[in-house]
Amino acid sequence: MGKGFTVWFTGLSGSGKTAISKFVEKEILKQGREVEVLDGDVVRTHISKGLGFSKEDRDAHISRLGWLASRFSHYGVPVITAAISPYKDIRNNCRQMITSAGGIMVEVYCECDLDTLIKRDVKGLYKKAIAGEIKNFTGVSDPYEAPDNPEVVCDTAKETVEESAQKVIDKLYELGCLKKEGETEEPYSEAEKKEIDKRLEALGYL
Amino acid sequence: MALFSKKKKKRVVVIGIDGVPYTFIRKHIDSGDFPNFKALLEKGDFRRMNSVMPCISSVAWSSYMTGCNPAKHNIYGFIDRKPNPFDMFIPTSVNMKAPTLWQILSENKLRVVVINVPVTYPPKEVNGVLIADFLATDLRKAVYPQSVFDKLDSIGYRIDVDAWAGRKDKDKFLEDINYTIDKRIETAYWLFESQKWDFFQLHIMSTDRINHFLWEEYEADDPKYAPQFLAFYKKIDSFLGEMEKKVSENSEFIVLSDHGFCSIKKEVFTNYWLEKEGYLKFSKEKRSGLKDMSPETKVYSLIPGRFFVNLKGREQFGSVEPGAEYEKVRDELIEKLPTMTDPETGNKIIRRVYKREEIYSGPHFEQAADIIADPQNGYDLKANLNQDQLALKGSLEGMHTYDDASLYIRSRQIIGDSLWIADLMPTILHLLGVNIPEHVDGKVAV
Ligand SMILES: Nc1ncnc2c1ncn2[C@@H]1O[C@H](COP(=O)(O)OP(=O)(O)OP(=O)(O)O)[C@@H](O)[C@H]1O
Ligand SMILES: [Mg+2]
Repeated sequence: MGKGFTVWFTGLSGSGKTAISKFVEKEILKQGREVEVLDGDVVRTHISKGLGFSKEDRDAHISRLGWLASRFSHYGVPVITAAISPYKDIRNNCRQMITSAGGIMVEVYCECDLDTLIKRDVKGLYKKAIAGEIKNFTGVSDPYEAPDNPEVVCDTAKETVEESAQKVIDKLYELGCLKKEGETEEPYSEAEKKEIDKRLEALGYL
Repeated sequence: MALFSKKKKKRVVVIGIDGVPYTFIRKHIDSGDFPNFKALLEKGDFRRMNSVMPCISSVAWSSYMTGCNPAKHNIYGFIDRKPNPFDMFIPTSVNMKAPTLWQILSENKLRVVVINVPVTYPPKEVNGVLIADFLATDLRKAVYPQSVFDKLDSIGYRIDVDAWAGRKDKDKFLEDINYTIDKRIETAYWLFESQKWDFFQLHIMSTDRINHFLWEEYEADDPKYAPQFLAFYKKIDSFLGEMEKKVSENSEFIVLSDHGFCSIKKEVFTNYWLEKEGYLKFSKEKRSGLKDMSPETKVYSLIPGRFFVNLKGREQFGSVEPGAEYEKVRDELIEKLPTMTDPETGNKIIRRVYKREEIYSGPHFEQAADIIADPQNGYDLKANLNQDQLALKGSLEGMHTYDDASLYIRSRQIIGDSLWIADLMPTILHLLGVNIPEHVDGKVAV
């Protein structure tokens, strides 16, 4: 069993989080690992049902995502989250939760300028937001705080989806989240590792 | 014709007695405590042997089973680090990079039984049976093939003793260790009788365990525990006698230990020393492990006495430039480490410091520590963080020594004047008439 990790996408609506995540998911599955995809839109219909788009509600929504991701990480299951997650401090809290649960956080910033996003307008939301029909729309009438030190930056206005996805996938191998063929496989689950650590500690071998 | 002239097939039996010093065995043979061992001496050769640096069971047995120095087998300790991204891991058979004795024998169509040898978990496929070591948590996953599990389970086989009891409750520990060895021996006899094999190895770990937790009582002749300590060893002695009788005369019978033991004067915290000397730094409040060290760190250490330079381009947050600066840091350490003294007694702690290229060579050299320190007997080098003093006397009683391992071979003369544990693998291949691979470092010792 491998190490738990979370690929955390952040970026404005239409910046490419869902599109890139599909490719990353495929690569993880190809390596024989399982993967849990937590797409913001989907999570909002379940554990975040009823939450809106105020700062408070957004923070609650993202914290729930982060907590879930940390639990999966603890058991060594890879996670992909694809939600706008506009606030830096909450994303950092999530990073904290994930790493203290034994996971690796791989933050992916989907960077894209507003003009391109308005041109794309995949869901027709920008049009409405600009017309004032949607309040608190991130990037138009609500703040977005870009990450300072993301593991990956995808410039989705210039790159193709495939190029962006490849950057993320390369990073996963580089960080040891995924193993190339012939690379050594982790022989312990998290629980077994704890047991062995305890045994070696008692012997004074750590 | 061939049918009748065919010689009986040669077989080899190896009993590993982990951490039993040569000098200890000699002493108790002389005092009459080990009559079976005494009888063995009359039938074969018994010699003091060197271990490997660092002399830890996992490294020593890896050198035993591969015939190689650590830079070829890639096992440098019970704990190791990945430099980038920085992470700690427990080396297992997965990390073993050189072919093992039993792999080579299996490829040569010889059948093997291997019980409890360190760093055999997770078990790899062999032509025969392999029960992995105490790096396994679950017996079900520790056996190859799966079909032997049920029998082991019904015997009540235990992977290892509970070492926490060794620290806290010596009576419970002794009960556990006696139970564990009885079950291990029962299992060994069962496999010895029921399997076809050309090579049979039983590894006894309990000797190392009892030394770790009762060596002081033994040395101090404690009225309660010294007799129990010796009683345990007499049990091992009887077992060796009994086993030897089962091994037919034209087969080989080998007993060896992987390192010696001495009592611990103090545990010494090398990372405490590095911090005091300004080599190791933590920036955040958090210092739950080396992963929290600051990028300003120049050197960090792992148990026992393995010092790693925080080298740019290799380590995740490397700060020391390769080349001149790296060498400067290493030279400084080589100068300063030997000046480390026991604050209470003023005794020197470090015997000798090596650059890695002095003691290792091979394809996995890069994984080695940059500097390896060999301590004086009695100073057990530890790498715990969050210590508030350089050295203290803790609950561990015994530590390993390099030059006091032992080797016994029946009906043979042991040769070579720098005998070390890696000599066993080529020796055993030679005895079984199997070609010795060229990469092997050890030499045939008979
Ligand atoms: N390099 C790229 N990476 C990702 N998407 C790209 C890229 N180039 C173009 N696109 C297109 O941009 C669109 C991104 O839409 P997507 O649904 O992935 O956005 P999102 O970030 O998930 O938005 P939301 O937050 O609303 O769910 C897709 O139509 C995709 O094909
Ligand atoms: Mg989306």
